Amino acid sequence: MPEAADPASVTAREAQAFARVTLARHPDRPRALRLIELLFSDWTELHGDRLFADDRAVVGGPARLGNRWVMVIGQEKGTDARTRVIHNFGMPHPEGYRKAKRLMLLAQKFGLPLICLVDTPAAHAGVEAEERGQAWAIADSMLTMFGLKVPTISVIVSEGGSGGALALAVADSVLALENAIYTVAPPETCAAILYRDANQKARAALSLRPEVATARALGVVDELVPEPSPGAHAHPLVVAAALKGALVRHLCDLEAQPRDLLLEARWERYEDPAPGSIPPGSPSA
Amino acid sequence: MTPQSPRKPNHDQPPRKPRLGPRPQPVSSPGTVACSGCQRRFVKSRFDAALRVCPACNHHNRLPALMRVRNILDAESYAPLPTPAGERDPLSFDDGMPYRTRLEHERTSKQVDEVFHAATGTINGIPAAVAAMEFSFFGGSLGEAAGLQFLTVCKAAVQRGLPLVCFCSSGGARMQEGLVSLMQMARCTAAVSLLADASLPYMTILCDPCFGGVSASFAAQADIILAEPHARIGFAGGRVIEQASHGKLPAGFQTAEFILEHGMVDMICERKEIKSVVATLLGALEQEGHARSS
Repeated sequence: MPEAADPASVTAREAQAFARVTLARHPDRPRALRLIELLFSDWTELHGDRLFADDRAVVGGPARLGNRWVMVIGQEKGTDARTRVIHNFGMPHPEGYRKAKRLMLLAQKFGLPLICLVDTPAAHAGVEAEERGQAWAIADSMLTMFGLKVPTISVIVSEGGSGGALALAVADSVLALENAIYTVAPPETCAAILYRDANQKARAALSLRPEVATARALGVVDELVPEPSPGAHAHPLVVAAALKGALVRHLCDLEAQPRDLLLEARWERYEDPAPGSIPPGSPSA
Repeated sequence: MTPQSPRKPNHDQPPRKPRLGPRPQPVSSPGTVACSGCQRRFVKSRFDAALRVCPACNHHNRLPALMRVRNILDAESYAPLPTPAGERDPLSFDDGMPYRTRLEHERTSKQVDEVFHAATGTINGIPAAVAAMEFSFFGGSLGEAAGLQFLTVCKAAVQRGLPLVCFCSSGGARMQEGLVSLMQMARCTAAVSLLADASLPYMTILCDPCFGGVSASFAAQADIILAEPHARIGFAGGRVIEQASHGKLPAGFQTAEFILEHGMVDMICERKEIKSVVATLLGALEQEGHARSS
């Protein structure tokens, strides 16, 4: 047990931990559509899940990375009041995950590697989402992605929250921008579950260690893409260039492997997906 | 299956309202237990013999994992499947009470090591692996140890060429393990794909309550999904949705009957009928016996 915690310093550490969450949610961070524009060429968006609707929280379609065609799927939060509503703040409904699944299978059919840009606080929580099987849609997206016979890369762009993020992140390589967060649930939800009080989000953030450096230490994320201070919101072009370099590098590595070895490596990875640990007393921030 | 099967769900009674406060504590007398649906009291041994389905209101009270597993397997065929639980606290989580202390307390007070109990045996003569989740232990939450347990069960099933039947009951992810808990959804997905690759039937029975990272992974990835009557099943909790949508929830929202109506499960199955339904369906799926190894 550490020495009796000084309430003032605990509050300060909680505030510091939550500041990371706030930074990851900075409204000017590049969103999926912006990154797609910066990273790829010939992006052609495809719409709809062929079952119910077109969920604009998930965007996807083929694009070229350098001169290599890939399938891109991204979670888009929107950039202003109008587009945030259109994209539902990046919180997909089941049809978003079903669109993703459709595009994954399309990629597999024609041998396109898959690149997913993850940016969601969580899957949408609502009556309609439950009626249309949110749990089933997420479960199916994960199962499809895990079994995909093409190389897969996911990038935690800003906010990777809950199964809503993991549905697009069961990949061969998982990258993250340095100031992103990756959590089991948004700190507000964690606080509601642990303390029955969403206002204790800072306390939850301190204990949960949402920063992607934690994910890297646990072995969940393979590489952090550096962001010049103060962050990607101030330097979107620099960050996009660094991310593009990392994507090309990982894609080359994955494509060089025979498919059976690729799938075997994927199995081994997800047999124990988070083998690392964070030692006690290590600072969260 | 007979056409006049009594396993037809009982729709006469209204679905139970989600209980938000603490469980009401009726006056107790020794050797009796109360139905959490109607609060009537029954002699415990008889209540257990009825699998804790209330004779008065048909409410399916929660059942310990061990009882679920023993009940579906033929007597004498039950052979426990060891599922080592592990001892990790990956985040060194401490928000006032260290996670390790909390875990130790749960283990001592609930007399179980972790969420899953598993066994092999026969179901009306059909060999199978069976796993069940203990909701009373940490809310059945999916932590690293539970993920490993599920993987171990799937591997054992594949190794022995057995179908898997899994009773799912969980509040979702184990928050104290943070991201490690989230990743168990991917681990369990990988485990389910092992069964699929071996063409082994995989069935789940969704029991009250089944939410979050469990409903959004292996619970929903089964070939056939059953649900117990009136079980609450969904992704996000009703309270979260009510807060997020600022609206009232529709009647019967997130009950087994609700999700059946929306096409998410194959059928609702009374507890006493589960064994025969599972045996019938396993028989159908394994007709060719193409996956059987010996």
